[in-house]
Amino acid sequence: MLIKRFIVALTLVVVLPTGLVSADNFSQDMLQTAHERLHEAVCVLTFTQEATDPRTGEQQRQDGNAVALLVSSDGLLLSNGHLQLEHIRSFNFRVYVRRNGEEQHYPAVMLDKPDDINITLLRIQSDTPLDLPYVRFQRGSALSLGEPVAVVGVMGENLDFERSIQTDRVAAMLDTPRTTYCLTNPLRLGFISSPVVNLHGDVVGVVGVDLDQEEGGGILARPGHPLVFQTDLFIEHVESPPDVSPVSLRTEEAWLGLFTQPLNEDYAAYWDIEEPGGLIVSTVVPDSPAARAGLTPGDIIRYFNDTPVYAIHDREVFSFTTMIRESEPHSTVTLGILRNGEEETVSATLGVRPRTARDAEEFTDETFGLVVREITRDLRILLNIGDEVDGVIVGRVISGSPAHLAGIRPGVIIMALGDYTVADLDDFESAVNQLEESKPNEVTAFARVGATTGFFRMRPRW
Amino acid sequence: MALLQPPVIMGQSTHRVQSLPVALLLCAVVFSGCATLPGNTQSAVLSAKNAVYPALVHIRPVKEVYIAGQRREVPTIGSGFIITEDGYIITNEHVAGDSSVVWCVLSDNTELEARVIGADADTDIAVLKVEASSALPTVRLGSSARLESGQMVLAMGSPHGLARSVSLGIISVPDRYLGDADGLIAPYNNWVQTDAAINPGNSGGPLVNLRGEVIGVNSRVLSGAENVGFAIPIDIAREAAEAIMEEGRVRRSWLGLRFQQMGAKTDDPTVRGVVISDVSPYSPAREAGVRPGDLLVAIDDVSVDARFEEELPAVRKAIADLPIGKTTVLQLKRDGEPLEMDVITEEKIATRGGQTEFQEWGFTVAEMTPELARRAQLPERTGVLVSGSMPGSIAAAAGLEQGDIILEVDGEPIHSLAAFTLAYESILESGQPATMLFVKRGAVTRFVLVKTGAEDAPALEKEIIDHVD
Repeated sequence: MLIKRFIVALTLVVVLPTGLVSADNFSQDMLQTAHERLHEAVCVLTFTQEATDPRTGEQQRQDGNAVALLVSSDGLLLSNGHLQLEHIRSFNFRVYVRRNGEEQHYPAVMLDKPDDINITLLRIQSDTPLDLPYVRFQRGSALSLGEPVAVVGVMGENLDFERSIQTDRVAAMLDTPRTTYCLTNPLRLGFISSPVVNLHGDVVGVVGVDLDQEEGGGILARPGHPLVFQTDLFIEHVESPPDVSPVSLRTEEAWLGLFTQPLNEDYAAYWDIEEPGGLIVSTVVPDSPAARAGLTPGDIIRYFNDTPVYAIHDREVFSFTTMIRESEPHSTVTLGILRNGEEETVSATLGVRPRTARDAEEFTDETFGLVVREITRDLRILLNIGDEVDGVIVGRVISGSPAHLAGIRPGVIIMALGDYTVADLDDFESAVNQLEESKPNEVTAFARVGATTGFFRMRPRW
Repeated sequence: MALLQPPVIMGQSTHRVQSLPVALLLCAVVFSGCATLPGNTQSAVLSAKNAVYPALVHIRPVKEVYIAGQRREVPTIGSGFIITEDGYIITNEHVAGDSSVVWCVLSDNTELEARVIGADADTDIAVLKVEASSALPTVRLGSSARLESGQMVLAMGSPHGLARSVSLGIISVPDRYLGDADGLIAPYNNWVQTDAAINPGNSGGPLVNLRGEVIGVNSRVLSGAENVGFAIPIDIAREAAEAIMEEGRVRRSWLGLRFQQMGAKTDDPTVRGVVISDVSPYSPAREAGVRPGDLLVAIDDVSVDARFEEELPAVRKAIADLPIGKTTVLQLKRDGEPLEMDVITEEKIATRGGQTEFQEWGFTVAEMTPELARRAQLPERTGVLVSGSMPGSIAAAAGLEQGDIILEVDGEPIHSLAAFTLAYESILESGQPATMLFVKRGAVTRFVLVKTGAEDAPALEKEIIDHVD
């Protein structure tokens, strides 16, 4: 049984350090022990991913697999954060647990993504109580440059996902936005979210791919370069996991409607502002709470409800984002700003964060062969669609359909169908219904393609 | 859309060496082929060739191109033909436009530097002028009004730089429409499609009928296809050339309308007119109240009709040919009801604006034309467009990228390239250490600090990513 094995492992750990002091690397015994202790907690996760092209709404599905690490006996799993990306929906999870040479699989559900680290947590679903092998993490486990580590992962599918172990060393210590370690070898995918063991046999963390967008991952990401997420970065999430709540049930978030940039030393010097820090308002989304509060580009935000807002680097603007998100929608907040060198206070009533393209509603019309979606706020910004443009955006065109033959492509914005003006999905649906009754020989769609408008003539097959 | 692949502008090639053996082989084949033609055809081909050959010009322009934030000069090759004894030459705009110098090699191997009298992007026609001591041989211009498929034609010019090349073929289609969704490739004319071999370097050369008259200007090929070439009909070329010789450019009227053939709305043949598919913001037509979906049936009592797309260029040309700044009556149909609207024509401004390189900052900037402003969703024509920035330059270090629109410099709105140039020069003169730009990228604006005093220490961290809150 697992418990016995852990006891053995613990005694080994006690014995080993004497030999370790002089050793600079793992001995074969140490690797075997680590493998034996951990390999049953390393599982294979299979899933389906649906990627949505944010511009067109076009969706593509693909099956995938990843490493999932059991972190509790009742089936809590840790896996990589890329399962929960913007514009990607992952579902159809199945966890393959290999124990005493026998494999068992369970369905699993994804939990809400932690907002401070790029990992995903999942929970196995089972009608019967579970008692699964799992990894125990060592807290407070800092690594040092050049320190050897061992990683227990899985081999590729052609090697039947055999559990394996490899050694590495800490190649670099990253200190922004917080301490993380970089490994030397490019690890294969079967090692991401695998447990990392130090010479003492402690599980000091897991292998991570890169930082999350929310923590500046877009800037600092080093694709393919493995990091060690040390235990302290995620242990809170493992010990008190988020609820089993599908993403769609997420509650409303507050929204201000601003784009900002940090006021660094150079910008502060240019504007003769003594202290750098603060956020420069760079864009105000039209018709947003920020616009109604009278904020304009060039204002510098220094306080949010008396809490100082400080940002010198790009990644620091995220703390302001978090402050907004954690506020109550419809609540009134005060912003201390610097406008033309004068300190002012502006109060703004927060709105509800508009739906993003990922959660956009869509309507499938089989008559013309179109899947159309609402034009969400983020899509408006991404595609630079003016506020005067109302309509629905084509996400998919069914091959061989009247719409396809007429030359309608994903990304086209339909503004009228026949004689019916289309301002939103409801209009589109009712236009299709009306046309289905009158059954005209040809139906013309008035649409916007890029910056120009035009007509598409469709011949529906009634 | 008429074509699967857009025709490419014939570029220039440096593959002369590889092409030579191929060309020689081809010559052999052509000669053996000629032998089977009836004798009168052979003599017609020879006399047609002889009529044009002396006036054929091999053109070597040095073109200005703006790439990655730098202005560069690139030597290229094209073709042309002399139309007047005092040395006016017709070629393509894409051959001789934006050139710093143009050399012409005449049939007697005289090499002369030419002046570019004018270049018109909408018809792809340019006119050059060389000064010669004696009268130059000229071509006879024919008419493109009554061309027929199957009619034999010769293409002459410098394919891949091989001067004085002649190829033989027939007119495949006399009025091919080349259009795409929004880029208007030659809005005012259809094309003479021919199977006479046309290659890069033939651009600007004459397409000649068996009477020895020039009936087209070879300009385009369909890439990836065999012997699908296109020539500008000579009537269009002649008209543009005459305007250029007179005024240095072709002036056209503009109402801000885009059209689609009636077939885009209905295939009912009894419905006459042309579909107005788009009305530009801030255009005379928009001000007059014209709406997309209206049918245009007549302009100043002259009826217009375009059931098929090849009839669209004539409609666009009818508007372009209206006198500029005059009131015109548009007869429309809206929901079946006739409607008349008075519009005042404006002069059409080119889609593409002038460009300038700003060497010290290492970037190039283009004029914002009304069409570019519209594509960028600007509420008005304002700002200047960054057309490129050189890696490692001050502009690149500040995070300026191609496509950025500079709206303000040090808090002052910028409305033209001239205004930006002035501001830039005064910044350089003042030696100020930093300049603040207010820049639009897509739907988002941001502040960009250009550190002009930091040539030796470029910023390592690019503060270019904004965030939504």
